Amino acid sequence: MQQTIDLDSRMILVCCGTGCLANGSMEIYNALQQKLAATNVQVKTYTKPTGCNGWCEKGPLVKIMPDDITYVQVTEADVTEIIEKTLRTGEIISRLLYRDPKTKKRVRSHHEIDFYKKQHKIALRNIGEIDPASIEDYVSRDGYRAIAKVLREMTPSQVIAEVVKSGLRGRGGGGFPTGLKWRACASAASFPRYVICNGDEGDPGAFMDRSIMEGDPHTVIEGMIICAYAIGASAGYIYVRDEYSLAVKNLGIAINNARSWGYLGQNIQGSTLSFDIEIVRGGGAFVCGEETALIASIEGNVGETRDKYVFPTEKGLWGQPTIINNVETWANIPVIINEGAQEFASMGTEGSKGTKVFSLVGKVINTGLVEVPMGTTLREIIYDIGGGIPGGRDFKAVQTGGPSGGCIPENMLDLEVDFNSLTRAGSMMGSGGLIVMDDRTCMVEIARYYVNFLAGESCGKCAPCREGIRALLEILNGICKGTGREEDLILLQEIGETMQTASLCALGRTAPNPVLSTMRYFKDEYIAHIKDARCPAGVCRDLTEFYISEELCTGCGLCIKNCPVDAVSGEKKAVHVINQEKCIRCGECINHCKFNAVKVR
Amino acid sequence: MKIIIDRQEVDVNPGATILEAARKAGINIPTLCYHEAFGGQGMCRMCMVEVKTGNATRIVASCIYPVYEEIEVVTSTPAIEKIRRNIVSLLYRSAPESELMQKLYKEYKCEENRLSINHNERCILCRLCVKACEEMGRSAISAIFRGTEKRVATPFDEASEVCIGCAACAKMCPTKAIEVSETNNERIIWNKTFTLVKCESCGQPFATREELDYIISRTEMEGLDGKLCEGCRKKNMAVQISKLVE
Repeated sequence: MQQTIDLDSRMILVCCGTGCLANGSMEIYNALQQKLAATNVQVKTYTKPTGCNGWCEKGPLVKIMPDDITYVQVTEADVTEIIEKTLRTGEIISRLLYRDPKTKKRVRSHHEIDFYKKQHKIALRNIGEIDPASIEDYVSRDGYRAIAKVLREMTPSQVIAEVVKSGLRGRGGGGFPTGLKWRACASAASFPRYVICNGDEGDPGAFMDRSIMEGDPHTVIEGMIICAYAIGASAGYIYVRDEYSLAVKNLGIAINNARSWGYLGQNIQGSTLSFDIEIVRGGGAFVCGEETALIASIEGNVGETRDKYVFPTEKGLWGQPTIINNVETWANIPVIINEGAQEFASMGTEGSKGTKVFSLVGKVINTGLVEVPMGTTLREIIYDIGGGIPGGRDFKAVQTGGPSGGCIPENMLDLEVDFNSLTRAGSMMGSGGLIVMDDRTCMVEIARYYVNFLAGESCGKCAPCREGIRALLEILNGICKGTGREEDLILLQEIGETMQTASLCALGRTAPNPVLSTMRYFKDEYIAHIKDARCPAGVCRDLTEFYISEELCTGCGLCIKNCPVDAVSGEKKAVHVINQEKCIRCGECINHCKFNAVKVR
Repeated sequence: MKIIIDRQEVDVNPGATILEAARKAGINIPTLCYHEAFGGQGMCRMCMVEVKTGNATRIVASCIYPVYEEIEVVTSTPAIEKIRRNIVSLLYRSAPESELMQKLYKEYKCEENRLSINHNERCILCRLCVKACEEMGRSAISAIFRGTEKRVATPFDEASEVCIGCAACAKMCPTKAIEVSETNNERIIWNKTFTLVKCESCGQPFATREELDYIISRTEMEGLDGKLCEGCRKKNMAVQISKLVE
C-alpha cells in the first residue's frame, strides 16, 4: 500500500492549511493539476494538498521534492512558469524563493531558512509533508507503526510506563504529566472507560491544534488508540469546534479510513482491542476547552466547569473513568512509542520534556507555527525564528498562554520557556500562544482587552470569576478612559487575588493573570494613565495627544496623506503640525512616519 | 470515619461533604448557593475552607468536597475571611436592595469602593431557583448565556410551556429577585399568567390549576383532589381520623 516516490518523478506539495487556503492555495493546486494533465512534462508528477507548513507569513507555500525547492508567496499566475521552468528543465525561479533579509540572498530550500532551521518537529512532523486525506501517506511515514508495536509487544502497563518515563506533560495548558493521568485512569474501579481528544482550542491567536487536526489527523487517532489499549477504553471522542470545518472534514475522512484499514472498530489489527472514535462538534465556547466543561458539553449539557476534587480519570464522561488529552499531546504519543521514551526525554528541560508548538503571532516578522524543544529562550523564538519586530519598532512584551496568560517584558527575553518558568514569571504555557507586542502597545489596554474577552467567555458559574471579571473590566475601562484613581490598583490586586484562590476552575483562577502580570511588569504605565492622564503608547484615545517633533520631521507628507480626518497640515519639506481639535487619535500618523517624528505627549 | 473541623472531632460518612459534616456537628460555614435539599453547587464559593491533608494545605469549597480520608479543616482564617468579604462585596453590587446582602455587607465589614452598584438588580445567581424548578421536575428556568451576561430565564424569555406557576423558585430565592404578582384570581410569574384555584372550604386562593393537576398526577396521596388548600385538607383529615377513632 505504500506509495514510493520514483527518483525520476517529482512531488509537488501545495500547502493547503487554512492560512494558505485563504491566500488562494487551492486555486494553485487545481491549476497545477489541470496544467500538468494538459502538458507533456516528461517526469512523473504527484501534486498533493498538505496541511499547514507553519510559515503562514510567507504563504502560499509550494514545495518541490526531491529537488527540495521551496517557493513562497506563490500565486496562481506562477503555475505555468513553475511547470515550464522548474519541472521541465530543472530551472529554479529565483523570484519565488525566500529572500533572507539579513544576507539579502535567495534561499532554495526551507531547510536552510532560519524560520525552520531552529525548529525540531515532533508533533508537526508530518504536516506539510503528507496529504492529510491519505492514510497511505501517513503509513509511509511510520504511521500506525506505534500501535502495531504496542499490540504486538507491549502490555498496557508497559505502555503507561513508557509514557510516564517520557516525561510528557499535557500540551493543552495544565501541563499535568500524561503518563500519571493514564495510570490513574487505568487503576480506576469501573468500566466502560473513555478517551477524549480536546480540540476546542479557543485562545485568540492559537492554531496549533487546528493545524494538527487538519494536516495530520491520523497521528491524533493513533495516539488515542494507544491510550485506549493502555487504559482499557472502548470508545473515544474528538471534541472539535465546528468553525474548524477543515479539521472536522479531515478528521472524518481519517476516521473512516482508519476503520477500513482495521485500526478502529472491533478487534483492531486482529487483537482483542475494540475501540472506535466519534467526532463531537462544539459550538466554539472558550470555556469548553476546560476538561470538565468539555465533558459536560459532550453529555449534552451547558458547557460549565465543575470542581475536580474527584478527577475525570475516576469520574469523567457520564461518570465513568475518562482520559482527556489535548490534540498536541496525542500527536506526541506515537513518536514516544516508536522512538522510545528515553529519546523523547533527552530533549527539553528538567521539568518539561520534548518540544512545544507555539503559534507565533502579533508584531513579529515571521508569524506562524513553530515547534521547538522545551527550554528554548523567548529571544530565540521571537528573533531567530520569528525574525524580530517589523517596521523597526521596539519589542515591548510577549503575551503567553492565551487570555489567561500573562505579559512578559523585554528584560526576561532570555527566559528558557517551559511549564515551570512561565508560571514563575506570572504567566503560563497555556496551549502555546505567543503574541508579540511592540512599543505601540498599551499594556493597560491589553489587560482590558483580555478581561473583556473573558467577560464574554467565562462560563459565569462561580461568583469570583464572573463577578471578579465584571469588576476588573469596569475598573480597567475607567483607567483607559482617564477616570482611574490610585486606589484602583489596590482594588485590582485584591479582586485578582480572590479570583486566583476562590474560583471554581483553572480558567477562573488564571483569569486575572493579564491584569496582575501587566501590573507586575508595567506598573508605570498604569500610573501614567491614572496620575498623569497619559497613555505612553498612544493607544487609549482619551489619554493621548500626538505631536510632531520639529527636529525629526522632514516634511515628507506621509502623515498628511494617511490622516483620515485631515488633521495634519504643513508645506512639503517643512515641519508638519497636528491640529488637536480635529485629531481623533487613531495613530495612523505615528504608524506611517518613517522618521519617528510623531511623538506621544 | 472521623475528621477534625475547627479542632473538633466530627463524625462523617465517607463521601459526604465537609459542609454536611460541619452542619451535622453544629459548626457554621456560610453559604449562598447551598440548600440541603439540593446538595452543593460549588458556585458562590462562600463556603471555602482550609483543608490539611498530611503536609499539604489548600482552600476548597466545602459544599462539594467529599471526605474520603482523614483531614483537618479550618473554617475561618484571615485568607478565607478575605475571600468571603470580597465575594460579598462583589455580589452586593447585583442585589443592593436585598435584605440578605445588606446584612452580609455589614457583617463582613465591606467597604465602599468605586465599583458601580446596580439598584435595579436583585439576583446573585445562586441558582437555587433553577434547582427548585429542576427538583419539581419542570426545569422551566435555567441559567442562560455565559460570562458576565449570565442570568436566569425561561427559554427565550417567553412564557414557558412547562412552567406550572408553583413559584417554588420565588420561595427559594434568598434575595427575593423573582417577581410574582398576585391578585385574587391571578398569579403572574416568568411572563406567564395563571388562574388561581380557591379552596372549597375556606375560599382562599391557594394554588394554580396547572400546579394542582401536576401534583395530583405525580402523587398517589389519598384525599388529594385539589379542592382544598393545605390547611383545610389537614383539618379535614384530622376530622376523619378522629371519626375513625370514635
